[in-house]
Amino acid sequence: MRTTLGVLLAVVLLVAPVAAHHGFDTEYDASKKVKLEGVVKQVSWTNPHMRVYIDVTDASGKVTTWNMEMTSPNSVQRQGWGRTSLLPGEKVIFEGYGGKVVESRGSLARIAKAEAPDKPLFIQGGPESAAQGYPQP
Amino acid sequence: MRKPFVVSIALFGLAVALGAQQNPTGALAFLQRERTASIPTGNTPLISEADALRPVPRLPDGRVDLTGPWVGGGSNADIEREGGLKPGELPLLPWARKLRDSRLEQNEPYTICLPMSVPRVNPFPWKFGMSYTSRGLTHIYVLHELGDSGAHRVIYMDGRKHPEDLLPTWWGHSIGWFEGDTLVVDTVGYNDKFWFDSRGTPHTEQLHTIERWTRINYGTLVNDFTLDDPGAYSRPVQLKFTARHVRPDVDLMEFICNEDNQYGIAGGFVPAQADR
Repeated sequence: MRTTLGVLLAVVLLVAPVAAHHGFDTEYDASKKVKLEGVVKQVSWTNPHMRVYIDVTDASGKVTTWNMEMTSPNSVQRQGWGRTSLLPGEKVIFEGYGGKVVESRGSLARIAKAEAPDKPLFIQGGPESAAQGYPQP
Repeated sequence: MRKPFVVSIALFGLAVALGAQQNPTGALAFLQRERTASIPTGNTPLISEADALRPVPRLPDGRVDLTGPWVGGGSNADIEREGGLKPGELPLLPWARKLRDSRLEQNEPYTICLPMSVPRVNPFPWKFGMSYTSRGLTHIYVLHELGDSGAHRVIYMDGRKHPEDLLPTWWGHSIGWFEGDTLVVDTVGYNDKFWFDSRGTPHTEQLHTIERWTRINYGTLVNDFTLDDPGAYSRPVQLKFTARHVRPDVDLMEFICNEDNQYGIAGGFVPAQADR
């Protein structure tokens, strides 16, 4: 039972809105859940929202650059990120939701380095969520 | 018995998860929004419950310190619900109700980096910058990390009155004074370009607001809010919001909204104030 609850609560956190600057479902499709592996092309510390660009190679060798939106740089820093937390060239496993029209423009829900998949760098809801009464994932 | 219970929990979890979207529907989604939106805190860490109960701090002149930073204290997704009213109680005139219902969230002025104005907040910190000069407390600047899109609001505390024939602006003209420990802010001269919430609740240039801010303990600031707009509402309405103090090590950070706003591209639309 405890495991079931834990999984469900993790799901709750993963589907949390992308950020406060705008709503999730004006741009993104909750039914377009993706979980992919790729190589970081660029970490863009820009306002109003940060973006991580990730090159994903499919089975045929075609490379697609995913543009994954996060929250504001301020919010991400408050979750513990710094300039060297994630760098171009690093292999990552990430989850998110595709754009309603441009699928490779997604909302980032979770990202971890490939060598440490169980230690996510970023989860929507965030490590600080416990301070707001949210359970930790 | 065990299996149905697990299934129920699962359904509840999925419903709450769906409810976490910006426009959830259904009772469980409503509960989820109620939890998060009435005091929207997002990822901004709050002061602990124990610290929140500490006494109200005071400035050297004896005045209550309202600085903060705070999070919450206004509307965000739905001013009617977040202000303490039941569905349908906000006394919108028919044209205003029709306008609200026709607005699309994607066209929020806020999403194209325009200010949220009064009484809106988002889950990021803001503060009352109490500015003392040789004449005492003459101005209070309201600084919001994201909600003001890099600008600021001024509350004149020097005893001046509202000017005649104000040119409508995003924050209007605010004058303030203290009644005991309560900061009263009276504002007129608003433009009609901002929305009270992402639902699209409108107003007109006749909007007159009175905020009564009372810090009831170290961690809690109450905003008793009077909304008076005969252009869009059949009568003045009284709302109530609550702000929470953020964790002491958290302060406002730089935010330049127009730097790289890609809003709309993934969704295939261009946000616009199309209904104006």
